[in-house]
Amino acid sequence: MEQSWREFTRKGEKVLRKYLEIIKIFIKTQLAWRGDVVIQILFTLTKILFACLLWRTIFKDRDQVAGFTINSMLSYYIISSFLNQMDMSSRVSGEISQRIRNGTFSKYMVLPVNIQGYFIAMELGIVLFYLSLDVITSVIWIFAFHIRFVFVSDPVAFVGAMILILLGLFFMAQLNYYLGLLTLKYEEIGTFLMIKDNLVAFITGSLIPLVLLPQGFVAVMKVFPFYYVTYLPSMLLIGRLKGELGMGLLVLACWCVILQAVIYATWHNYRIKYDGVGI
Amino acid sequence: MGRMKRNLRVVRVLIEMRLQNLMMFRLSFFGPFFVDSCVFLIQLSVFQAVYYNVDRIGTWGKGQMFLYIGTFSMINAINMVICFFGINGIPDKIKNGDMDLYLTKPVSPLLRLTFERINPGAVPLLILSGVIIASGIRKGGIEITPSLMLGYMFWVAVMTVLYYLVEILIRSLSFFILSSGSAVILEETGLALCMQLPGIVFYGVYKVIFYMILPYGIMATLPVQFLTRELTLGGVMWGILVAVVFTMLTAFVWKQGIRHYNSASS
Repeated sequence: MEQSWREFTRKGEKVLRKYLEIIKIFIKTQLAWRGDVVIQILFTLTKILFACLLWRTIFKDRDQVAGFTINSMLSYYIISSFLNQMDMSSRVSGEISQRIRNGTFSKYMVLPVNIQGYFIAMELGIVLFYLSLDVITSVIWIFAFHIRFVFVSDPVAFVGAMILILLGLFFMAQLNYYLGLLTLKYEEIGTFLMIKDNLVAFITGSLIPLVLLPQGFVAVMKVFPFYYVTYLPSMLLIGRLKGELGMGLLVLACWCVILQAVIYATWHNYRIKYDGVGI
Repeated sequence: MGRMKRNLRVVRVLIEMRLQNLMMFRLSFFGPFFVDSCVFLIQLSVFQAVYYNVDRIGTWGKGQMFLYIGTFSMINAINMVICFFGINGIPDKIKNGDMDLYLTKPVSPLLRLTFERINPGAVPLLILSGVIIASGIRKGGIEITPSLMLGYMFWVAVMTVLYYLVEILIRSLSFFILSSGSAVILEETGLALCMQLPGIVFYGVYKVIFYMILPYGIMATLPVQFLTRELTLGGVMWGILVAVVFTMLTAFVWKQGIRHYNSASS
């Protein structure tokens, strides 16, 4: 019994070491693409600038909009754009789609690791690299735009938000992996991926807080995972919607399980369509 | 006159060739339409949600904001249909020496670059923009007269040309520096911001940037202000001045760039 447990942990460690290597490689790779860092900073700047100019104009003649003050609104944008920048998974679908189309996806098929695990480790490496950068950038924007930052003081809400963020990142990685795999069947999904990026920005609450939308729409959104990826963690971190934390964790975890089953079925049905010569 | 006729003939041939090419690669024909219409529809939803909670943004109500989004969409759509895909390839052509092929032909390289990759797939975006504009006019309760409409169309035309000029100017930087990637990113960032925000919300340094340096802030704002009778004489003068200055600047930079170009891997 003890021996089999030891064998099991030894194998676990071996697998973990493989993924750790992938994470390390991608952290190093980011250092080679320093231009991407500039793009990253510019994108957050656009979002914060948009929020500052729009909402400062709106708040000129009122104190509150949908329960937000100007400070909580701008804090929401700082946090949501930070979370948005952390999610690097859209490059997963692009990479898979491109590789399948030009016949070089075989590179991943021959690796002695699970392909989805590889991409999740890849995202983790990239996220870890950008994490400190995103924190620094957010702090700079807070000072540069004179934002009185509103942040949660309740430790339960804070820890809950952190778990939601991790689950959300995992869900987005799953989603993008799944969409990338659809290239095996539909061949050209580039246009769809671009539309997806725009839609996801809206329904995750990255463009505006979802509470501004009609209540019926928000109620429907609560059934879907996107509500819990950026919007709910951001609201929790500015000290609102703590009551929705439990439901959020449950719904998002369920969606992760469902999507994993869909990924499994899709991979097993469509991988035989890949011929390794491109489309 | 003779030169104009010859240029028109060249444009016709370029369009014919492009259509033949598109018939061969039909897969992504409507791609730009779907992507761009999605962008502008989401933007409409964003402002619909904002106006669900507030009645005005600055001095603008929902009608003006719809008009703004529709007008920006229209300018973008005209650009997409006519020249975007041709102009967008300039930096790569400079980098890998393909510009040689354009300079050795007996026709203006810029004329060819402008019209060689027209995109009829974006035509539905023109229709969608028209619908958004009509909806903005209705929501804003604007009474349209023929002179008002003509003036609006004049401003849309001027701003479309300005949009085109800025596009060329930014990409012409590739003649002088190894990569104009950062400038293109700046352009995209400025565009993304100004597509969402009308010029009336800019102040201070932002106004200097988006009214003068990257004039995306005035591109849809001035036509809308004209239609809603908010455009002042100062605004008219500024719009014309910016268009004239950018015409001269772009022509100068382009000509200097062509002189500076020294073929492959320049």
